Amino acid sequence: MGFIFDGLLKGFFLLVNGDAEVYSIVRLSLFVSVFATAVSVTIGVPLGSLVAIKKFPFKKIVISLVNTGMGLPPVVVGLAAMLLLSRNGPLGFLGWLYTPTGMVLAQVIIATPVITGLSLSAMQSLDRRFYLQMLTLGAGQWQALWVCLKELKLSILAAVIAGFGSIISEVGAVMIVGGNIRHQTRVLTTATVLETQMGNFDGAIALGLILLGLTFLINMALTFIQQQKARAE
Amino acid sequence: MIKLKDLNFRLPSGFALDIASLDVGEGEIFAIIGPNGAGKTTLLNILALLEEAKPGALEIAGRNALPPSGRTGLRRSMSYLFSRPYLVNDTVRNNIALPLKFRGERDSGQVAEMLEVFKITYLRDRSATQLSQGERHRVSLARAFVTRPRLVLLDEPFSSLDARVKETIICDLGRITRAAKTTVVLVTQDQEEALALADVLAVIKDGRLLQRGSPQELFSRPVSKEVADFVGVETLLGGEITAKSGNLCSVRVDGNMLEAVSGCAAGDSVLLCVRPEAVSVSRTAQADSMRNHFRGRITSVEPWRLEHRLSIDCGFNLIAAVTKRSLDDLGLKPGDEVFASFKATAAHLIKR
Repeated sequence: MGFIFDGLLKGFFLLVNGDAEVYSIVRLSLFVSVFATAVSVTIGVPLGSLVAIKKFPFKKIVISLVNTGMGLPPVVVGLAAMLLLSRNGPLGFLGWLYTPTGMVLAQVIIATPVITGLSLSAMQSLDRRFYLQMLTLGAGQWQALWVCLKELKLSILAAVIAGFGSIISEVGAVMIVGGNIRHQTRVLTTATVLETQMGNFDGAIALGLILLGLTFLINMALTFIQQQKARAE
Repeated sequence: MIKLKDLNFRLPSGFALDIASLDVGEGEIFAIIGPNGAGKTTLLNILALLEEAKPGALEIAGRNALPPSGRTGLRRSMSYLFSRPYLVNDTVRNNIALPLKFRGERDSGQVAEMLEVFKITYLRDRSATQLSQGERHRVSLARAFVTRPRLVLLDEPFSSLDARVKETIICDLGRITRAAKTTVVLVTQDQEEALALADVLAVIKDGRLLQRGSPQELFSRPVSKEVADFVGVETLLGGEITAKSGNLCSVRVDGNMLEAVSGCAAGDSVLLCVRPEAVSVSRTAQADSMRNHFRGRITSVEPWRLEHRLSIDCGFNLIAAVTKRSLDDLGLKPGDEVFASFKATAAHLIKR
């Protein structure tokens, strides 16, 4: 049991002493996941809302595909992203393999279906006639969607929280696409795996605790905003 | 204002709306009545460009129903109120200002004017979530009129209101639309609502327009049994015209002779319609100008809204409406013998 306590202690000192490497890992983890969440929200929220509102052929099949995407295994996403970004792959010319940008791309692939699916489900919970009412009051399609999203802000914020949660803690995709290169693509999850593999359990526990703490803080902030809005309503 | 021609619209459920022609004039209050599932809301959705009519079938304010890219512009000349008021989670003032915001227009006093017109100034800063159902309807109406639309579409807008609130809102709405010369298309199942507001009425059933005309025309001269049934003609008797003098027809119904003013010819097989309120009931035979007098026996007395319906067996079944006061004054009850009478002009004939 002693090594667990040591791990907790080491994690605390790493943060308090301002270990440069740990801070760079934390910064990169936050950058990759926050940026990927922002991109996924930009794609997923309008996409999910449009799928929910619009009538089109094969809508049920599209919804099934989105729902399937919500459970994509990160390792498979990482493999696919690596194949796409590898020198001979279709996106190889971008030179994103083993870069934070490549890691963002992989995480966007994971988070977008989660945010799309949850936005879609939130929008379907709203009476469609609310959207039609906005159109008949003179709103354009995007204006009407925006008003609907404002009505659903609590559910949309929950979708953002779920999307962020699905990528801040994933390891498979960032490991394959980023390569866990020190000072370049090493993030909290891949560093934790590395420390564990090296038998350096106290270091792994320390990094794990930092990851847990960060996830908690960000989710708490989002939840705080969400619940404030809920109280306001 | 609205011209609909050769409309043939099908919903995925298979329901079809077939309307050969429908015109609504500028500034007219046009009510569409019909039972549930008749196609009233579908028709309104087509007029609001929420459903796609075939090109050329619909013309609004002289413009063809446009392709999807031009719909927002055309929609901005109208307002559509659903039966349920869909308000956004914001203050009353911001709800009413929403159509102006959508159009990129500034509020130059229109919101305050609408708050006043619909008597809801006191609600201005209240959240929409804190309003009663009647208040929500008023806010929704104010929002619909804030852009001074040329056309307002109303889909059973008063169905969830209690009678008193409904009465005052209908009164205000009639006053405002007539003052602004707004064209209104109102869809309702409630005949009283339609009568209170409409200049022109249309009956729709099973996706077909059965009759269009003034309220007086529709209620007293239905063109078919279906329309007669829906507009509250309760005495419908099959018979044959045995003689005709001028416009006065003698109609044989189950061995009884009745008189009606009609353009039908002698020998025609007809359906004779009499509205309940056109029938007078008395304890003794009356000497008056009415041409149809019958002695009969009351078979049932049923309360109906603020009146009572009497079924009288006169050799044929005749339905009469009497007020509660008349019922009490005359002491009418089932089994009593009474005299029923109605004018020849109150009997309408439908050729079969």
